[in-house]
Amino acid sequence: MSGFNASFRHELVCTRRARVPQLLLFVFLGMVSVSAFIGWSARSAVTAVYDRISAAGLTSAPNPFAGSSPLYYAHNSVIYVVLIGALMAIVLGVQATLRDRKAATFTLILSRPVGSVGRLLGQLSALSVVIAVVLAISTVISWASIGIITGGILGLDPTLRLAAFAVLSWLLLTGFALLGMLTGSYSKKETTALLVPFIAWSVIAFVLPQLGTAARPVALLNPVPAIPPPSGGIFDTVNSFVGPFAVTEQFKHAAGVVLQDGAVTGSPVLAISLLIAFVALLTVLVAATPRQRLRSPLHD
Amino acid sequence: MTTPAIQAIDLAKSYGSREALSGLTLEIGQGEVFGLLGHNGAGKTTTVSILTTLLPPTSGTALINGYDVVTQAHDVRRSIGYLPENVQFYDHLSVRENLRFFGHLSGMRKPDARITEVLEFLDFGGMENRRLGGFSKGMRQRIGIAQAILHSPAVLFLDEPTSGLDPEGVRGLRETIGRLNSEFGMTIFMNTHLLSEVTKTCTSIGILRSGALVHSDSMGQTLDAFPGDDSLESVYFQLESKPVR
Repeated sequence: MSGFNASFRHELVCTRRARVPQLLLFVFLGMVSVSAFIGWSARSAVTAVYDRISAAGLTSAPNPFAGSSPLYYAHNSVIYVVLIGALMAIVLGVQATLRDRKAATFTLILSRPVGSVGRLLGQLSALSVVIAVVLAISTVISWASIGIITGGILGLDPTLRLAAFAVLSWLLLTGFALLGMLTGSYSKKETTALLVPFIAWSVIAFVLPQLGTAARPVALLNPVPAIPPPSGGIFDTVNSFVGPFAVTEQFKHAAGVVLQDGAVTGSPVLAISLLIAFVALLTVLVAATPRQRLRSPLHD
Repeated sequence: MTTPAIQAIDLAKSYGSREALSGLTLEIGQGEVFGLLGHNGAGKTTTVSILTTLLPPTSGTALINGYDVVTQAHDVRRSIGYLPENVQFYDHLSVRENLRFFGHLSGMRKPDARITEVLEFLDFGGMENRRLGGFSKGMRQRIGIAQAILHSPAVLFLDEPTSGLDPEGVRGLRETIGRLNSEFGMTIFMNTHLLSEVTKTCTSIGILRSGALVHSDSMGQTLDAFPGDDSLESVYFQLESKPVR
């Protein structure tokens, strides 16, 4: 794949200089940093109320948080990946392919011994490294925050689970970066290059789950997947068709299992397989972008 | 027998029903400076785009240093440098970062020393770390030439290289072309509107009209064929109105 290494290095340099991805990166890291503390304050407030009513003899039920995993504090990160992380990945992807069309540098690039597959996969690899670095930083922040809140160092099992959650997040975000690369290559205008993947993201994250589960839009902002519809009904039938395409819900399911969320049950294998299929399909579509398409001018 | 630097045989290109280039047959020897002349829309940029592998021809064959532009496109790209009209770079990157990228794309592993050498050759030393954002057209053109010659190509394609340059820039470019040809023996193929520059720079010329080559010969023989005319301009207008061969 000629041009792979050059494109990989160049994409890293360009992404480091771009302002919008940097801004989104800081917002994402900021949200992840505070998410553990948001979880901690929610838990403290509920426990305080529970202690008071328990002392007053108003309940004999156990504290709802008793025995919950320390990874509870990382649950909010799931929704930040779906909301902020996905948007960051789309912007990164769109900028990667749109940059050369905007600057009209593709004419020069394609006059060099570079294949379009090597060029695009080099850029994709750089973006996936950027995403991996962002997620690695956010994982370290989560790990440290949970340690501070629980007053001890996280054990091996929860640490590995946090790492597995980062890998799942990387998979989902790489998929959205690919979506951005695709529209950056094919859109006739800069505005549609960003708008189309944002619409696709909102359909994947909100419309498809609603069609399949009748969930309220606000419910979809929860870090856990929407409750499946009763079997045999219309929503169940629709869900069997559209459910696999709701990759953010698949991600929430797999993340919920990995992070030991009590509200999520079942095996994560199907959800992870669908995430991999989502990324693989988009990779094939990006790699198949015709050479002439890459140097097509924008009509803005 | 030496392989011609550029060879086109019955080259044609159509965009839908519009024929941009028809039956172009041309041979340019090693070390020549060739100027392709013609009105706007005559097919000059289409010719360069095909020869630089950016566009596939509809029919015909083109060879650069013996490599076919369609079936051996990567070999062609390795042996050519290309300066497009209105060359563009990444404005947020420095001169060195831009050139390093194009050096890597050309297969150079460590292009930094060569970048310094090329920039000094173009009297641009000391500008390596400046960002291109505030550069004038003339400065960009020099960086464009730097990226085109970075990997020491055998053939250099220049598409309207003097477009938008001030007189000083035009003179500087002419001198650079002359030095590239004389010091490195580079074959140079250029499209241009400036007949005065062609007279001063080129060793051979071709004239395109409506996609067809109406004349191709050495500069000396072209001028000798019109003894009454002392400038290329009047010769050009006579040749340009010739019937298509």
